Amino acid sequence: MTDPDHDLESALARLRPRPPGLAVTAALARELDPPAARRGVVIAWAAAATTAAAALALGLFVGGEAEESAPAYQLVRAEQSPVEIEVLRPVRLEDGSFARPVRARWENTTQWEDPRTRTRFINYRPSEQTTLLPLETY
Amino acid sequence: MSDAHADQDWRAWFAEHGARLRLIARQWTRSEADADDVVQEAFVRFWKHQRHLPGDPNALVVTSIRRAALDLLRRTDRRAAREKVVGDDSETVTWFEPEADPRLQALAQSLPLLPAEQREVVVLKVWGALTFDQIGEQLSISPNTAASRWRYAMEALRKLITARAHD
Repeated sequence: MTDPDHDLESALARLRPRPPGLAVTAALARELDPPAARRGVVIAWAAAATTAAAALALGLFVGGEAEESAPAYQLVRAEQSPVEIEVLRPVRLEDGSFARPVRARWENTTQWEDPRTRTRFINYRPSEQTTLLPLETY
Repeated sequence: MSDAHADQDWRAWFAEHGARLRLIARQWTRSEADADDVVQEAFVRFWKHQRHLPGDPNALVVTSIRRAALDLLRRTDRRAAREKVVGDDSETVTWFEPEADPRLQALAQSLPLLPAEQREVVVLKVWGALTFDQIGEQLSISPNTAASRWRYAMEALRKLITARAHD
């Protein structure tokens, strides 16, 4: 014997809600896609770090023992750690409403390696961001 | 619901879930345009600040939608009082894609006719994938009340479909 409510629920689940309009997706893209300027900074930072690594390595090896050639550092790893979330005690804001501070911590690590000498250049960048989540009170 | 905690592209996640989020938003808004605004605001808040929080991402995004919808209702209530605006968008637009199956089509046309308090329970259970406990938390009612509204809604839907079949 079949459950009539379950049959009805299954039928409801087959209905396909209409998706949001393209304007919504466009607005989300403006909010959530990284701006071109920020991407440019990242690329510039990465390029500068690579250049610095190469220059450092070059200085070390040219000034020291005679090597056959300068090291060639290659990007081997770029990773972001899982975000650690710390939910703090609610606070009262100036307007009388309540909010819960939430602190997020994560690290970005980028590594370059010279495959010939097996030496590595590592850039480690810890980040922390604190956000207030509004609390609804009825 | 696929994992929103992972380092996932928002476009892929929204393409998969946007339609049902909009249907949920529609339960607490007066028009299609308001539902779009609410989905947009709630999704940005969820994706930027909440998707890494512990807990069920599904419930988090529904909470975000409800909060945005209530905020919008409060703002528009104040504006309506000032401007004497009349004219709810009383649904000339359907909530669902057209269906070839007459039974499904009848269901799609019947759902908006349910009382709002039953309809929101149905939408949260079917398209929000929430349990009665979670629905109770969202709507500030007991799980038993949520389950009771569900049963009334199923009964009403059966009657509406039967009536349409005999028209």
